[in-house]
Amino acid sequence: MATSTTAPKKKADPVVTEIIRNGVIAVTEEMKTNLMRTAYNTIIYEALDFTTGLFTAEGETISIGIGLPMFIRGMSETVKSKIRHFGIDNIVAGDILITNDSYTTGSHLNHVTLTMPIFHEGTLAAFSCCMAHWIDIGGVLGGVTTDIYSEGLQIPFLKLHRAGVVNQDLVDFIRMNVRVPTRALGDLRAQVTAVKTGERRFFQLLERYGREPVLAAVEAIMNHSEVGARARTLTIPDGVYEAESFMDDDGISIGKRVPIRVKVTVKGEEMTVDLTDVSNQVQGFYNSGITTGYACAQVAYKCLTSPTDYPINDGSFRSLNVIVPSGRVISAVRPAPMRWWMTFPMTIVDTIFKAMAKAIPDRTIAGHHADLIAAGFHGVNPKTKEFYFGNFGPLGGGWGAKMTEDGVSATVCINDGDTHNSASEMTEVKTPCVVESLRLVEDSGGAGQYRGGLGVERIVRARAPCVFSSQIERAHCKPWGLEGGDEATGNSIALRVDGKWKADFPNAKMVMATLKVGDAYLLRSGGGGGYGPAWERPAEKVAEDVRQGYVTPEAAADSYGVVIDPKSFAVDKAATDKKRAALKAARATA
Amino acid sequence: MSDQSKLRLASDIGGTFTDVAVFDEASGKLTFGKALSTPQRLVEGINNGVAKTGADYKDAGLFLHGSTIAINTILERKGAKTALIITKGFRDIYEIGRINRPDSYNLFFQKHEPLVERALRFEVNERVLADGEVEKPLDDKEIEALGDHLSSIGMEAVAILFLHCYRNADHEKRAKEILQKKHPNLFVSASHELSQEYREFERCSTAVANAYVGPKVDRYIGEIDEHLRGAGFKGSFLIVQSTGGLYAADQARQYCIRMLESGPAAGVIGTRTLCHTLGLKNAIAFDMGGTTAKAGVIHDGEPLTTGSALLGGYEKALPVQIAMMDIFEVGTGGGSIAKVEDGMLRVGPQSAGASPGPVCYGLGGTEPTVTDANLVLGRLSADRFLGGEMKLDVEGAKKALLKNIGTPLGMDAIASADGILRIAITAMSYAVKGVTTERGLDVGDYVLAAYGGAGPLHAVEVARELGMRRVIIPTAPGVFSAYGMLFSDLRYDFVRTWFTRLDDASFDAIEAVYKELEDEGRAAIDAAKVKPEEIAIRRAVDMRYVGQEHAVTVDVPMEVFQSKDRTAMKKHFDEQHEIRYGTNAPAERAEIVSLRTAVSGIMLKPPQEKIAAGGADPKAAFNGNRSVYYEAVGFVETPTYTRDKLLAGNKVTGPALIEEHASTTVLAPDDQLTVNAYGHLEIAVAGRK
Repeated sequence: MATSTTAPKKKADPVVTEIIRNGVIAVTEEMKTNLMRTAYNTIIYEALDFTTGLFTAEGETISIGIGLPMFIRGMSETVKSKIRHFGIDNIVAGDILITNDSYTTGSHLNHVTLTMPIFHEGTLAAFSCCMAHWIDIGGVLGGVTTDIYSEGLQIPFLKLHRAGVVNQDLVDFIRMNVRVPTRALGDLRAQVTAVKTGERRFFQLLERYGREPVLAAVEAIMNHSEVGARARTLTIPDGVYEAESFMDDDGISIGKRVPIRVKVTVKGEEMTVDLTDVSNQVQGFYNSGITTGYACAQVAYKCLTSPTDYPINDGSFRSLNVIVPSGRVISAVRPAPMRWWMTFPMTIVDTIFKAMAKAIPDRTIAGHHADLIAAGFHGVNPKTKEFYFGNFGPLGGGWGAKMTEDGVSATVCINDGDTHNSASEMTEVKTPCVVESLRLVEDSGGAGQYRGGLGVERIVRARAPCVFSSQIERAHCKPWGLEGGDEATGNSIALRVDGKWKADFPNAKMVMATLKVGDAYLLRSGGGGGYGPAWERPAEKVAEDVRQGYVTPEAAADSYGVVIDPKSFAVDKAATDKKRAALKAARATA
Repeated sequence: MSDQSKLRLASDIGGTFTDVAVFDEASGKLTFGKALSTPQRLVEGINNGVAKTGADYKDAGLFLHGSTIAINTILERKGAKTALIITKGFRDIYEIGRINRPDSYNLFFQKHEPLVERALRFEVNERVLADGEVEKPLDDKEIEALGDHLSSIGMEAVAILFLHCYRNADHEKRAKEILQKKHPNLFVSASHELSQEYREFERCSTAVANAYVGPKVDRYIGEIDEHLRGAGFKGSFLIVQSTGGLYAADQARQYCIRMLESGPAAGVIGTRTLCHTLGLKNAIAFDMGGTTAKAGVIHDGEPLTTGSALLGGYEKALPVQIAMMDIFEVGTGGGSIAKVEDGMLRVGPQSAGASPGPVCYGLGGTEPTVTDANLVLGRLSADRFLGGEMKLDVEGAKKALLKNIGTPLGMDAIASADGILRIAITAMSYAVKGVTTERGLDVGDYVLAAYGGAGPLHAVEVARELGMRRVIIPTAPGVFSAYGMLFSDLRYDFVRTWFTRLDDASFDAIEAVYKELEDEGRAAIDAAKVKPEEIAIRRAVDMRYVGQEHAVTVDVPMEVFQSKDRTAMKKHFDEQHEIRYGTNAPAERAEIVSLRTAVSGIMLKPPQEKIAAGGADPKAAFNGNRSVYYEAVGFVETPTYTRDKLLAGNKVTGPALIEEHASTTVLAPDDQLTVNAYGHLEIAVAGRK
């Protein structure tokens, strides 16, 4: 994938370049605003599970929105596939190209992708593209799927609009294959609005500044990102860095761990991420396509080299090579099931950070909860007599500590970016449930010189019979610490049936559980791993954590070796010194 | 009001200046005063400003005031020791927030920082369900004990948030009553008093922000009130809210958060007045100062408002859920610093502020700013800045431009300055797009009204960039917010979340909700002790298609409620959806999410005074020529005019500069200016070359 820098044909004007840089970010934002506000489902509007962007005439990313970081590769590869499929000469002004092919987008069938060519004076100048998550695309409800055919409608590369005219046959075909057609077609309309917005606004930039200057500016922006990424890579010591982690299981072979092994080679200003030793594709629905394999490496690379370089564009990845053989869990081939595509890749990204911790300790991060924790429930609302899907969006959880600061609590996992949870009040109005609590979980963050962030717990009681299901991972393989920092708690679930809590499940996956009125479910996200030995954390900081209730006095003593009066929060210095010496000695012998 | 009480005083306190506008009801005369703000004792700045106008507090019937005190207290984190009382199980929602990570690839991202630490967030046993039913009653004893504890640990303020209080506020009301009875000095803020809209995190953040600024705002207003009374003022003291409406100072002392953005809101009210005077329906209120450019909208004669805002940058923002003027802001102002980062030219958002200020101020600034670029291009006069009170250093500005921008990018100082302005212009055009195209409004249908110190300098270029045909520079653009206050009305905004399918909606139940809210509004107007001319009520309903998530606020005329016309309500919604998003679905069912109403006490407005008329030739105002650079043509010898000497009917064709005390209006070649009857500059913008 790495290519050498090609000198721009014509030197870009620095002023126009900055104007175009602001311009493409604004176009992407406006596409996002229009999609979000007209969408029909919570996942788009509240969870912002969508991505909008502009692409070069070859399909390279010029700018993409920040909704879903793990989709950083999916859109560009989909645009390129569409170009290959139709042939560049067969794509005309006013066309809108559609697909949800999992093995192209790398994700699940719910991700429907629309692409519109942008012509200027009769010549193709760029593409506008938009992916959004549909609430339902057909397929079986609940359970663990084992092939793509049970997951819903597959839409090949087709033209949704042909030169500005709607392909009604296709719309009718979709209408008959989804459970809630008004919502699906509402979301489809919203996506059409988004790609048309991108087309119109980028066209206006071409008109205002001229085709050549704009395209030269685009190239300058991408080259600039490349130069930045290369310079940052050069500061990483050359070497081969490896790490390993495990997923709980694939949902079919319960308890059989799934290995994730990554190898990163840094040489000069280039990095190679080798995912050859990641597990083969699995039987249950946790697979993703090869574009997501590339995305794992790119997300990690961007986080480490150019996290705040905007717009997000493909220039940043020219110094990155990715090796992913076909048939791995992140390069699965037909007919592998893909419904929970997003779960395993998050751990792969985390494992790359783990591999790089030795090389660039100041830039990496300890493990995080690495799951959406977005379990849901469904049933018939007794008030409206209508079928409903209940969901609070992602729960958020703990993030890892870093060399210089504590981890962040209660924040969405790396698959997602500007994603929101749903308000409890809103969900209680819409669905027959009561939230009993939504709280931070004390002691969930890994202890360390810098403490991991805290996980979150939500308890939801049923006000009408419903079916609960979860697909949550990483109950066993807990978020790890770095440089002697402790691991955090893992993700977990529990059910309260007839007043009694039950939590002794083999993992955090629940195929389908029926809840009666008064029964409840609990979701708890893990914390983030700690950084550095816990006995190095200043006792005053531990005491402050105890005062705030982030750490209990017991954990302060057991994990940090700090003895604190639970009433006055005063540190018993003598007892603390003794305890810390013992902790240190115990670690040395271990 | 005594017979002598003929003055209406307005004062707007900003970061750098305190602006005062005085209207004499007897003579119809308007006077302005501008003084430096005095952060240590703000009332002194007001006194100095009033003194410059020659007015006496004794003669005033109304004292209108806008201030940044509430917003600054939050941004600077200098509020009261505050605690939070919340429904059991929800202590952490204020910290958990919405869990988003806007800076998605940044492993060093940070969340919002709550104004109340976890140790000071207390849960109480109570629970109201979504339909308002009490599942767990409030225990008075628990609140009493908690109140004693809060007082014992020295709390000055407390916020209360109970779930679903918008359906049943009894628990919040009772808890507040219990706390206040025993601890009269504790500032208590219950969430339903500020927002009766669902979304517990946002409402919680709103109640906490109010409690946090409460004691300070209370003291501040008390101090001004005392000072005014001491100086013989016998009239009504009113504060400008973020909606641009006025409320009584006593009310502001409790519901402090409503005055968050009073200055910018008053500018939009000034623009509305401009529209009414000139018979315009649609205008953009464009305000550019030292650090930001802001845009608000007058649509169909009225300002557009919104129901929420984020304080601080988006990544770490604290939300407030109250009615506000819908204003979009970008970090581009006169003081915005230009620099080359990794070979790219960037302008702002960092600002040199008033100190050290732009390089040309000669106060120690070394980084070139937008103002320096304006000076080097001849758009600002080195000798006539602030009426000549301040000399500007052209050579210093040129050197800094060359050193920081030109040399690294291989350009001269002039090209650097021109580049900075072009980038600044496009950045500012996004503020205007933010409130128009992103709201589904066609910016071409609007007039650009520009004010603030730097607004007139760039207004015509911003308009040209956006394809707008007409610009208006009002009289006294430098004190426009204070001017706008004189035209404000008493206003009380209410919202209540009220879910129902439109098909099932009971108009009687809806009317009962509105009546309750509007009665409260009328009572508040009565309590303000100012006799308005009339009471006006504007209702709106937040609606969406069944299954859709985002609700659209739809203005619904009173007749629709009177005739209980479901079809008409649906039609208004379908139309609004089409305008905002370009699509709608008339065949689909709709639902109601929230009911909104604004109760206004319409005040008698100062009349608009005309200026002396003259012919088309502006020769009386001509004061010389200087060389000015324009993007398309380079340096051109340009005539300059003194604004004060322009007469109604004067016409000027660009290139030209119109200079006044705190501002300069720039016309590029072929732009056409006409001075209208009231002295406003009306400019027909030439097309792009």
